[in-house]
Amino acid sequence: MIEKDKLKKYARLLMFDMKDEEYKTLQEEFDVILKQMDLLGKIPDIDKVKPMTFPYKNMDATLRDDEVGDYLTVGEVLENTKYQVGDQVKVPKVVDEDV
Amino acid sequence: MYRGKNISELKKQLENNEVTKEELFASANKLAHYFQDDYNSFVTILDEYKVKDRDSLLSGIPYALKDNFSTANILTTASSNILKDYVPVYDATVYKKLKKAGALLVGKTVLDELAMGGTGTTANTGVVRNPWDKNRMIGGSSAGSASCVALGIVPFSIGSDTGDSVRKPAAFGGVVGFKPTYGRISRYGLFSFASSLDHVGIFTRNVKDASIVTDVLKGYDPKDMVTLKDDNKKYTDTLDNDIKGKKLFYIKEICNSELYKDSNDHELLEVLDKFHKMLDKCRNLGYVIEEVSIDKNLLAAIYPAYMCISCAEATSNNANLTGIQFGPRGEGNNISEIMFDARTKGFSEFIKRRFILGSYVLQKENQDKLFLNACRARRMIVDKINELFNEYDGMILPASGGIAPTFDSSSEKLTDRYLLLENHLAIANFGGFPSITIPYDFVDSMPIALNITSPIMQDDLLLNMAYKIESVTDCCDIYAKVGDIDV
Repeated sequence: MIEKDKLKKYARLLMFDMKDEEYKTLQEEFDVILKQMDLLGKIPDIDKVKPMTFPYKNMDATLRDDEVGDYLTVGEVLENTKYQVGDQVKVPKVVDEDV
Repeated sequence: MYRGKNISELKKQLENNEVTKEELFASANKLAHYFQDDYNSFVTILDEYKVKDRDSLLSGIPYALKDNFSTANILTTASSNILKDYVPVYDATVYKKLKKAGALLVGKTVLDELAMGGTGTTANTGVVRNPWDKNRMIGGSSAGSASCVALGIVPFSIGSDTGDSVRKPAAFGGVVGFKPTYGRISRYGLFSFASSLDHVGIFTRNVKDASIVTDVLKGYDPKDMVTLKDDNKKYTDTLDNDIKGKKLFYIKEICNSELYKDSNDHELLEVLDKFHKMLDKCRNLGYVIEEVSIDKNLLAAIYPAYMCISCAEATSNNANLTGIQFGPRGEGNNISEIMFDARTKGFSEFIKRRFILGSYVLQKENQDKLFLNACRARRMIVDKINELFNEYDGMILPASGGIAPTFDSSSEKLTDRYLLLENHLAIANFGGFPSITIPYDFVDSMPIALNITSPIMQDDLLLNMAYKIESVTDCCDIYAKVGDIDV
């Protein structure tokens, strides 16, 4: 069974935590999932195949030109937050003093 | 009468001045409120609308939208606590097009949290129940969008489909579920789950309505760089084309009855028996239907490959849910603690488990064996299906090996039935193929459905073939006639 500490480490990398009993459920779930994932390795010659990351080659996909589009007014932005100082959105301090 | 009417019927009533759009909206609104406590289709029910008459088949037609499509000034939660108060400032392209067409938004529908799940049981506002039997799931993730069409509240609704999230709940709910070719409909404003697999999908009660809605929604959108240039076809025009000689295949390893002859699963056996009888009806229509064989190892890899790819992409796509830009802000002494707190409180246990799986497969030590092998398996599966599409016009399979599960049922996740019969619909997401589920019969008074998938760009042919098959079922325009309400 996958170690709880390992799962806890992944959770912290994803910036959340779970309750102890939830890790236990996840450990049990991993047991099944890893068995399912073993099926991937059973496909003959899978290592010779190029990974696919997009459904098909889309020749129509192009980067659009830089054009001025719709934008939000200050009022619309402020309507979306309860954290305000004057006409600005108040966010947590990002740069640590020690940096 | 409004309930259960399809788009064409409602349009005719409007044109003949037998009803007004105000009355249609009021009827849909009344039904939405009436069924909400029992079935929980909606996150938000709108009590007024603000669109004008338009020259469109959808003008004045009520519909519902999954709550992971951005709607300016209307709560959009993705059924997650991390977005429970989020009111967007912009419209998804799909919503914008439907507004422009004059369709009337009745409500935002419940989904499995962040569209990750297939049961309709993980929304922060509670489980969605199946209109044909309240003790059963409707499936997910587009659970509310399926149930409100199956209840006859609206003639169509919009969902999203990453693995089968439109086509599976459609099957369990006895309605049509269609996802066109990847890129056919813009996803701008749809909250991303797994970008290489995400599609917009449509629920209706017949194939013609699915074509009508797709005709309105399709087309290039500069705001979604994977959208296709419009094919300039009107899918409703070709629905009735002759299909004689069109070739379909089904996959032996998924649905050959002989493989399950020792099973005592009566539901499964009945589904397969009815499926093969349905194939005979299709043959009588003029279809050529043949059995093909595909390496079982490859088919068994569909579900684990889907899990690896979708969870990996989801961990990245949802990294913006920090409680800073959207949703309730967390507590803490610095930005890391604040985000950590918001994400710990905002995501359910189920979502956290999916994210951890996504992170696990992306770790350096697992990446090649899991994530990259999943992407390789995806290519092998898509290549195999495309090879078959050189010879065939489509693939036809049972949408599920059974009827909608009860809430207390559990599936054994390493069996052939689970890995093959219950999860093959993801093939269409892997390859971006257009794919449609249509109901065709009943088992134990619950609807069962078949699925047809065609080569990319052949949405018109797929709808044409489905329309013809629908004509030999008794399931066109069905809905669950529950409730004591006369609307």
